[in-house]
Amino acid sequence: MDQFFNVVALGMLLGGTYALVSVGLNLIFGVIRIVNFSQGEFLMLGMYGAYLGYSTMGLDPYAGAFIVVPALTLLGMVVYWLVMRPLQNEPMMQVFASFGLLLLIQNVVLAITGGVGMSMNTPFSQVTLTIAGVQFSATRLIILLAALVAAGGLGLFLAKTNFGQAIRAVAQDRMAAQLMGINVERTFMWSFGIGTGLAGLAGVLLTPIYTLSPQIGGNFVMAAFAVVVLGGLGSVLGALVGGFIVGLTEAFAGYYIDPELKHAVIFIVFIAVLLIKPSGLFGQAGAEEVGLREQS
Amino acid sequence: MSAIQLGVEGVTKRFGGLTAVNDVSFALGQGDILSLIGPNGAGKTTLFNLLTGQLAATAGKVFFDGADITHYRPNQRARLGLGRTFQISQTLTSLSVLENAMIGAFLHHPRIADAADKAYAALERVGLASRAKEEAGHLTLGERRRLEVARALGLEPRLLLLDEVMAGLNQTELARIVDVVVALNASGQTIIVIEHNLKVVRTFSKRVLVLDRGKMIADGGADSVLQDPVVVEAYVGKKKQ
Amino acid sequence: MSNLDLAQSGALGDSRLAGRRGAAEVWTVANELPTFFAVVAAIGLAVYLLSNQFFYLNLLTMALLFGGLAVSWNIIGGFGGQFSIAHSVFFAIGAYTAGNLYKHFGVSPWIAILPAMLLSAAVAAIVSWPVFRLRGPFFAIATMALTEVAIAFAMHWKAVTGGASGLTIPYRAGLENMIFQQRWAYAALFLGYLAVTLLTSIVILRSRLGYYLQAVRDNDKAAEASGIPIMWTKLKGMAISAALTGIGGVFFMMYVRIVEPAGLLSLFDVGVKIALIALIGGIGTIYGPLLGALILVPLDYWLRAFMGSAVPGGNLIVLGLILVLGSLFMKKGVAGALRQVYRAWSRQQ
Repeated sequence: MDQFFNVVALGMLLGGTYALVSVGLNLIFGVIRIVNFSQGEFLMLGMYGAYLGYSTMGLDPYAGAFIVVPALTLLGMVVYWLVMRPLQNEPMMQVFASFGLLLLIQNVVLAITGGVGMSMNTPFSQVTLTIAGVQFSATRLIILLAALVAAGGLGLFLAKTNFGQAIRAVAQDRMAAQLMGINVERTFMWSFGIGTGLAGLAGVLLTPIYTLSPQIGGNFVMAAFAVVVLGGLGSVLGALVGGFIVGLTEAFAGYYIDPELKHAVIFIVFIAVLLIKPSGLFGQAGAEEVGLREQS
Repeated sequence: MSAIQLGVEGVTKRFGGLTAVNDVSFALGQGDILSLIGPNGAGKTTLFNLLTGQLAATAGKVFFDGADITHYRPNQRARLGLGRTFQISQTLTSLSVLENAMIGAFLHHPRIADAADKAYAALERVGLASRAKEEAGHLTLGERRRLEVARALGLEPRLLLLDEVMAGLNQTELARIVDVVVALNASGQTIIVIEHNLKVVRTFSKRVLVLDRGKMIADGGADSVLQDPVVVEAYVGKKKQ
Repeated sequence: MSNLDLAQSGALGDSRLAGRRGAAEVWTVANELPTFFAVVAAIGLAVYLLSNQFFYLNLLTMALLFGGLAVSWNIIGGFGGQFSIAHSVFFAIGAYTAGNLYKHFGVSPWIAILPAMLLSAAVAAIVSWPVFRLRGPFFAIATMALTEVAIAFAMHWKAVTGGASGLTIPYRAGLENMIFQQRWAYAALFLGYLAVTLLTSIVILRSRLGYYLQAVRDNDKAAEASGIPIMWTKLKGMAISAALTGIGGVFFMMYVRIVEPAGLLSLFDVGVKIALIALIGGIGTIYGPLLGALILVPLDYWLRAFMGSAVPGGNLIVLGLILVLGSLFMKKGVAGALRQVYRAWSRQQ
């Protein structure tokens, strides 16, 4: 039984990781409907950014977040303006372009670092809490906490602030929002930027746990897409719950079936959701049917 | 009235709290022409979408040639004989004018040469045959509307539904498309038209059906309906404000 | 097919010819054949001329393989507008089917082509069906996921794939084994593959399915209202595209005689590269994907040889840049650019 609870704990902590990674993607894919395959690379940049702060200035990775997150938000905005904005009405070309970005970012980092694996520690790295015989690592708990805070913050931001409401309005009906005087392109640029900034935050918080490599983004991006679809496009709560479901699924599949097949299990979850409830757990019914063409 | 072709019974469509089409019933005979009018947001296009299957009705039934088609997909309804145009022309911009029309004609003529012939004939009927080889993306708004009619005609529809094919056209284009509609009906084609321009409606339509805020408020001969005070208030009166 | 149409219309008598105005205005398979034969003959000549230049011959062989794969991809990706990066999976299915049938059961690869096609098409249909019900970009995401799953399965299922160390098949030269001593024979084999994909692509584009795929791509609302079963149309296009890709896998298996999952299912070296080749050459055109392969395969080789050794990942940096710039500034590819130049030129005349 202890095993079982350990797997549950592992799944919940992994779920927190996926939830955090998915919150940013939820904004980019779920709300403004850009398929950004390079989301994982922004996460990877976040990790390397934290490492850079650590190695050059001795900055604790958690403190580094205060530099890395704004920097990646800015980078995301630039990428949106230069690459995604001209392709607004061509979703297929956006897919191509985001793949190009993926290749580009990944291999530029590879060229600079030479592909050497890097890792670093924080004072929390070795700390584990034991509650009722089940172990929790402190760094994973921090991520879980950050996921809750980020999701809550984003949810409040979208619901309560004028700008958040503008983002939702643009997501629902681009034309109408434009007629209401909302600057659509600027809204999208900020949404994309916030989305990449959140990916950067996830990256920073993951540095104490994972060994840095240019390809690490690939470990998360597919799970993140599955989480967003599972939770429902545009639903912040969905991203949170979806993250835990995928995390638990992966932990159980890894423990009880075969670690090598955990990706297959995530994919089966993804397909099953599309078959049974394509709008996701918390998505508005029909949201998945909103073709990109209709928004243009 | 000849044999009933289209039967609409208590059709209703709700979007959340908004009732876009509210309990509408009417019947249409073979070879008839009907104009659907009403102010903006009255639910005319929604009703069209319920008839051709782009939207699923919340309640009510749609019959075509006696068969209940309420749960049919749009492509199945097209196969049965419902051809339509869209309010915003849905031109296939990467294809030529002829190829656009062929998309409709393929339904009953799977072979490419046959479909091309039928499509060409449809283009002749709407006066676009001379532009057959051009890219459809190069057409003017009015020409695109006529191309939509040609594509729908290619389906060899038993009922043709035209959604504001005359809106935004200049006088020449308007006259042309009215001629097309009149000629089609004269050749026995059943037609439903959504139209804003009441003057135009009078020229070809004997029967007019008026929608206001989703409800059917009048159904009858063009002259009597257009003078009905309820209609005047709902439609004309509001427009003059 | 169109020859048949013409013959039949003639048989029906002259009375119908009066109404045959439209048929004269559309491009049919018969119209495409001269270009097709010219292209195949030109490449055949190139194979002949290079038959002793092993370096260039191998390069051409790979370009023909990727040309055929990109032409296959283009059927669903270009005509149908459904962007797949999972064609590496169908490629791998073809390779493993042929490899296992040959190694364990002594089945000739020529015969293995049929099960390879069927298996690829079946997997494509099963995976596509749930995502084709939805609009929007779900298909692209699902294909990316499919690639990951396929790698996991390939690593896991060692009896079939040999796991990470790969599947090797013995060298036994002979036409019936599709294994040749002469290098030019492989070039000829892949030219044959390319010809089959090109011809299929032409027949589809100049038939109802091709028009239906384009209608669905351009505007699914209008397509559905025109009586087109959207789901079926996409599934047919996808199944044909995957089946042709599977054939490529069969040929590739017999060409290299050793395949391992990491190479065969590589997202960038196969899956994305096929799509990138089509993009560079010209998506949705008949010869664009071939053109793309003739440009990109040598370029990729050159980048790998010269950039890759100087800077790790240097070749992929360049490819990534090409991908971003291509999607921004050359959406119709080289074929589209050439067509524009030709139009401008013919307007001046």
